[in-house]
Amino acid sequence: MVKVKFKLDGVFVEVEAMPYQTLFHLLKDSLGVQSVHFGCGQGACGACTVLLNGKPRYSCLTLAGYVDGKEVVTLAGLAQNGELNPIQRAFIENNAAQCGYCTPGIILTAKALLDKSSRPSDEEIFDALAGNLCRCTGYVSIVRAIKSLVR
Amino acid sequence: MTEDGLYFRFNELKQATDVKKKYGDEVLVVAGGTIATQLITRFGLRPKVILSLENLPLNYVKFSKTGIEIGATTTISKLLTFDNLPNALVQAAQGVHGLTLKEMATVGGNIFSPSPGGDLATALLALNADLVLARSGGKRVVSLSKFYKNFLTYNMRKDEILYAIKISRVPKLSAFMKLTPYTYSGPTICSAAVGMDLTDKKITRIAIGVGGLTPHPYRAAAAEKILKDKPISDQIIENATAKVTEGIQIREEGFYSVEYKSKVAQALVKKILYRLAGFN
Repeated sequence: MVKVKFKLDGVFVEVEAMPYQTLFHLLKDSLGVQSVHFGCGQGACGACTVLLNGKPRYSCLTLAGYVDGKEVVTLAGLAQNGELNPIQRAFIENNAAQCGYCTPGIILTAKALLDKSSRPSDEEIFDALAGNLCRCTGYVSIVRAIKSLVR
Repeated sequence: MTEDGLYFRFNELKQATDVKKKYGDEVLVVAGGTIATQLITRFGLRPKVILSLENLPLNYVKFSKTGIEIGATTTISKLLTFDNLPNALVQAAQGVHGLTLKEMATVGGNIFSPSPGGDLATALLALNADLVLARSGGKRVVSLSKFYKNFLTYNMRKDEILYAIKISRVPKLSAFMKLTPYTYSGPTICSAAVGMDLTDKKITRIAIGVGGLTPHPYRAAAAEKILKDKPISDQIIENATAKVTEGIQIREEGFYSVEYKSKVAQALVKKILYRLAGFN
């Protein structure tokens, strides 16, 4: 077993994991995180995305030991003091979700993109989201939500 | 440093190569995790030892008079922050699927990635790249063109770790293209890259990498032979592209037939050659 200590949504946690356990299963099974979803298991759909030290990462392709000493942010960790993050609000205002399964991953990827580039072009938004699949919205409202934060 | 049971993460290369020496094939080396983790989650691999390279000082790109050296754990995102990289490498990096994969995937990991990944390896083949392999007490250099044996099987000793990728003589012209099912990057159906020097319209140097058709990318040697030391022309490009898949056993998968993939490879190489030659 590997002892893993990290900060999860602002709270320090310490858990034991099997060396070959993924971060996804650690979050879901051991820590009860609800917003991280399983999709393809091969880094194509983005439903399991979290932010690791501020950068997006597929939790299904991340071994638990990798997060030791790092900071993990899930969708739940974006809201501060009961206030939604502006990206979360933009998604609500633009109806950028339907079934919602992909939404946590897309919002976190959007946050990473906007942290990296405050005024991304349409091309950069589409390119950044290429690893996050949505099968409901057709992306139009998602891109609109992200662009509403760029203006 | 985390070292508990069978999961190792070191700050120094020597510590990592010592573990590789001790445990050999029982070690699963993980850099970005995008391929190695899938060996565990999708293919049921249960390695005795997991060796994470994330803390090793291999996340760098160095430029010198003798060429370019890229540390094995350099991420695609970091690679894209450097100017003066060959076009083929930049274009292959830009085509990696989405921001998250660009942040996770490493250049070294891409070398080991089988089809439909491994686009950077296709570009690096066209750039005549060499791999620096480190082991406890030494290093050796292997040409990337001689690195692949079969699916997930490499010209690598069990005590070695990929340390760096070197491009010694950067070609004056290079380009990469790929076909994917999606508009914005995605898994590779077929990819191609060309590195070329033209002197007075004569092809003085040529290397062609093709990906997506075989478990790992290959050099299109028959096509290169036709082009080398010849004046560039429509006809010679036609003749060469017809040989792009000669002698290659193309893997049929999913919706894409052998014939289709072969035609795509030829079309991509032809398109790149036309562009590099400045033809319309």
